[in-house]
Amino acid sequence: MPPKGKKGQSNDKKGGEDDRDQPLQAVILADPFETRFSPFTLERPRCLLPLANTPLIEYTFEFLANAGVEEIFVYCGAHKDQVEEYIKRSKWTSARSSPFSRLELIQSTSHSIGDAMRDLDSRGLLVGDFLLVYGDVVSNVPLESALAAHRARRAKDKNAIMTMVLREAGTTHRTKAQGTSPIFVINPTKDRCLHFEQMPNKEQTHRLSLDPDLLKENQELEIRQDLIDCGIDICTPDVLALWSDNFDFQAPRKGFLHSVLKDYELNGKTIHTHIVSDYYAARVRNLNAYDSVSKDIVSRWAYPLCPDSNLVQGQSYRLGKGNIYKEDGVILARDCVLNSKTVIGRATSIGDGSVISNSIIGRYCHIGKGVKIDGAYIWDYASIGDGCVINKSVIANEAYIGKRCTVEAGALVSYGVNISEGTTIRGGSRITKIKRRPEDGQEPLQGEPDPAVVGKGGVGFEYQDSEEEDEDEVVDSLIPIGPVYNLAHLSLSSESISTLNSDSEADYFDQGRDRSAAGSFLSVGSEDSGHAHNFDQDASASIYDSLVEGHESANIQLELTALRMSTNASDHQVRRSVVSAFVKRIVQLINSGTSIREAIAQVFVQHKDLVDRSIFDKNAASKSDQIDFMLLLQADLAHRDHGESILLTAATKLVELETIEDTGVLQWWEDAKSTDNEELRKVRGKTQQLIDFLNQSSGEESSEEEDDDDEDDSE
Amino acid sequence: MAPGVGLAPGLTSFLKSLKTSAADPSVEYLISLLKRRQIRNSRPCAIATAALISKVVGEFKGNDAARLLERIRQVGRRLTAAQPREVVVGNIVRRVLGLVREVVEDNVEEKLATGSDTGRSTPTQSQDLPSRPHLNSTISQMSPLRHAAIEPIETSAYASDMSDSTDLTKRPPLLTSHTSYAPSSAAPLVNSLFGLFSQPADSSTASTPTGPNSPDGRSTTHSLNLDRLVDLSRSQQYFDLKGEVMSGIMELQEELEQSDKQIADLAHEHIHANEIILTHTASTTVQKFLTKAAKNRKFTVVHAETYPHDNEATHEVLLTGRKQDAAGKTHDDDDKWKCLTELGIPVYVIPDSHVFAIMSRVNKVILATHTVLANGGLVAAGGAHLIAQAAKSHQTPVVVLSGVYKLSPVYPFDLDELIEYGNVGAVVPYEDGEFVDKVDVEHPLYDYVPADLVDLYITNLGGHAPSFLYRIVADHYRPEDTVL
Repeated sequence: MPPKGKKGQSNDKKGGEDDRDQPLQAVILADPFETRFSPFTLERPRCLLPLANTPLIEYTFEFLANAGVEEIFVYCGAHKDQVEEYIKRSKWTSARSSPFSRLELIQSTSHSIGDAMRDLDSRGLLVGDFLLVYGDVVSNVPLESALAAHRARRAKDKNAIMTMVLREAGTTHRTKAQGTSPIFVINPTKDRCLHFEQMPNKEQTHRLSLDPDLLKENQELEIRQDLIDCGIDICTPDVLALWSDNFDFQAPRKGFLHSVLKDYELNGKTIHTHIVSDYYAARVRNLNAYDSVSKDIVSRWAYPLCPDSNLVQGQSYRLGKGNIYKEDGVILARDCVLNSKTVIGRATSIGDGSVISNSIIGRYCHIGKGVKIDGAYIWDYASIGDGCVINKSVIANEAYIGKRCTVEAGALVSYGVNISEGTTIRGGSRITKIKRRPEDGQEPLQGEPDPAVVGKGGVGFEYQDSEEEDEDEVVDSLIPIGPVYNLAHLSLSSESISTLNSDSEADYFDQGRDRSAAGSFLSVGSEDSGHAHNFDQDASASIYDSLVEGHESANIQLELTALRMSTNASDHQVRRSVVSAFVKRIVQLINSGTSIREAIAQVFVQHKDLVDRSIFDKNAASKSDQIDFMLLLQADLAHRDHGESILLTAATKLVELETIEDTGVLQWWEDAKSTDNEELRKVRGKTQQLIDFLNQSSGEESSEEEDDDDEDDSE
Repeated sequence: MAPGVGLAPGLTSFLKSLKTSAADPSVEYLISLLKRRQIRNSRPCAIATAALISKVVGEFKGNDAARLLERIRQVGRRLTAAQPREVVVGNIVRRVLGLVREVVEDNVEEKLATGSDTGRSTPTQSQDLPSRPHLNSTISQMSPLRHAAIEPIETSAYASDMSDSTDLTKRPPLLTSHTSYAPSSAAPLVNSLFGLFSQPADSSTASTPTGPNSPDGRSTTHSLNLDRLVDLSRSQQYFDLKGEVMSGIMELQEELEQSDKQIADLAHEHIHANEIILTHTASTTVQKFLTKAAKNRKFTVVHAETYPHDNEATHEVLLTGRKQDAAGKTHDDDDKWKCLTELGIPVYVIPDSHVFAIMSRVNKVILATHTVLANGGLVAAGGAHLIAQAAKSHQTPVVVLSGVYKLSPVYPFDLDELIEYGNVGAVVPYEDGEFVDKVDVEHPLYDYVPADLVDLYITNLGGHAPSFLYRIVADHYRPEDTVL
């Protein structure tokens, strides 16, 4: 079937389909809504990044074709046009060669997998059981037995809604998720998954909380941590319905799986596992996995998915001794050395005396004389000057590396970057020339070259995460533990590593506080990480909107709670969003002519509840929540007009409302963080009055405790 | 499992889909199956290829032999490029190409014989007549025929005519060849060379002299070529090219089905009572051979299990007597098929490492094969080389069983090309993370066994010495088809 006319066709087809065998359908999530491959994903969609010189999505298609899938829906987020064009030109859409009777692209505006699933449900394209896979699955597992088992279970019990295909791997394995390990609690007699948890490896916490009922109900339990979760799920349409019912599910494992299993009592749905112990299955979920899956493919663990299978039309790889794959037309100088486990694409030339080992080099690359490359991934059209030394790193298309450069292990050099002669690229740096992902129809925004990074005359600069969205279940750091791509020891690490959902709540707290002390709300939001970011944005926007529209504070509270639950946000974040929304509203009121006092009274009095509900240490000795609240308020006001007066009035009002206790304010005043820098000291200047008063009153307090309340009220 | 849903692709599904879909999608389908190794091993590949080619021929429109050849050749090129290590695919394509040529030649012969009788001949054709017997004898050695089978005969006559006018015997052909690059066909080049050979025979019949002036010569030749083509297409209506090729392919398919049985029929001459036979891997051919012999002789079989790539299939064969993945269609007589032990033959399964130790007791080694090469060497399941070497040092005769369809006109210039490296996971469990990370494992699926280690080949045509294989190759393949 030729590339698709969309809707009409799907309707035509459905009528006929019910009669005959239901075709096996599959959904590919081509965009996992994360930025683990940045800066590369700024310019190319993740599923088109080359893995062993073959775009990732080819492996997925190959896997689905192997499984006998007939209809495929590809779900794209960013860079849809590129994915579409690629698929159009590939063999999968041509009527002559495609094993699929239908291949359709779905563009979505969703920001998480949850949204995508709900969108899919509303489209009603899936009629029977379907496979849900990511656009980066590499697998040769035949699915017949899994499908058969799934159908058998389904025939017996309508509530068996999903089967996950998992690959066994030992306790340590390069292809397993590194940062966190998924823990599956399985009843082996029924292959039923009973509990799922994401366990952060780093923190040495090896605790897992199990519902005691599980132990009562099941005679046998396996708690397994040795499984590679390759993201292959066999689902029934009920799964989609479940996604729709629970609008707060975002990630398929951490959100969906975890909650559905937890709420078994409620919905009665069961989820099963199919564990394979031979064949290959993995997901290229981050750069570390990229590295290990590449190795697996080159060393033929994923056979027949290896370079010399020439999956894509026009490839002509041949295998030589020692897993050296060369395409036709490779130009090798007489005394260059190719060591084992190397792949070299067409028309790449390698100069005299160069030594290449364990590397994958794309097509039309130019590699100069005396170059040493070890463990690097060099994509098409890259050019590497004479005498360079390149260690384990990724060099993307059309990048140019001048003579005598050194690229240390872990560096990522993105598209079109130009490194001038004699530069050393630090391990773990990420160099790009594009600032952020282009919006639709916009030219990508080019950043200013940074000569400190790329040398004089180079093009490119160090990439900073402007936003991090980690909604996915398995949250590996971009950089694995171990020598590869190890960013952890770098100066910028505290920001970039904070993509971990697994970071402890305390970490969050501290980071957030540091940051909030340092700058505006916006910079806090953008530098902070993961779901925190989403939450901040959403929560503060929604509170602000409600304030403007004058909603009741109980309703705002409800909304905020829902949002907090769904993103698993910390109290600190809640406070931050409340503060930022309040301040925004107050400033807006002041700007529209209301007096400061009135504005603050209007906002704080009316929505006292909101603040109260975010502060939980009323009766504790150390008022850390209150301090935090005040710090946030102070930081937010630091750069506003009239910040000082607003702070004073607000603090007074808060004390007046007993939202913040006297001691809380005093503790805040003494907290080192409140005097971190000039701006902060300035903004709190006026509040001195309040402090003086409070000090005075607490002095009185000790003598005449009864009057305490009255005093506060009068103030 | 419910039929139709989620059926994993393979030979069965391919043959099924071939019935409903057109040739082009089927070609693509087979290519993808070959690439994904969903069809593997010689027999399934051969069956699939033969079925596909018959589909291609069946859908071919018109009666133009050259175009048919080109079409098959093109399909063949794509199939072999998809999986160069399944040499059998190329073999079948070459066989069919040879078949087409044969059909054309037979008919040309008839046509030329009748052509003069019907008085249809033009003045130029009458010139051919004296030289005709000679031409017909050389035609079979001619290199690729691009336009049509008999076109060269006449043009070549022409070329020779041209050359005769001046007494430069060598130059004129060169000139013609040079000028004839302009028309898109490469045929004239070939023809002029051909004219070179035929020259002495009809040097006396020069009648249309053309000067060494090449443009003139070219234009006349070209226009006359067109005449010939018209003649040719008219002449081809006298026989049913497609029908004959199709029936030839049917015969080929029959041969594929029969070859095991025919080889088995020779068993009594080679297996004697109380012998100890060593064999390896899971091969239907060998099993049938041994079963046949077991019907009236008692002997002992020692079976090397060919771990890691074929051990499961080997065990399967030993226990049930048949290979699991072989298509049901090829075993019409499966029901009456039993495994060796049921026939009272003691079978010992040994690991490959024990082959040398046991070799001193073995009377005969019987090897199954993946491909037999034109030099007498063979490519067989990994471990075959070890067995053959051990046999050599114990002076044990090595017999190789192979259908003719496995016999390839290819010489093993590049062994790496022929030997496939398989899934490493079969050797070392993938679960062993540390091993996977630190050790490079290689897992060759096939071994190349040089010709000097083999004593006898048994094909469906009978027994042959390795040094004689080139003759069988020459009988079955046209040299012009060796390079697809």
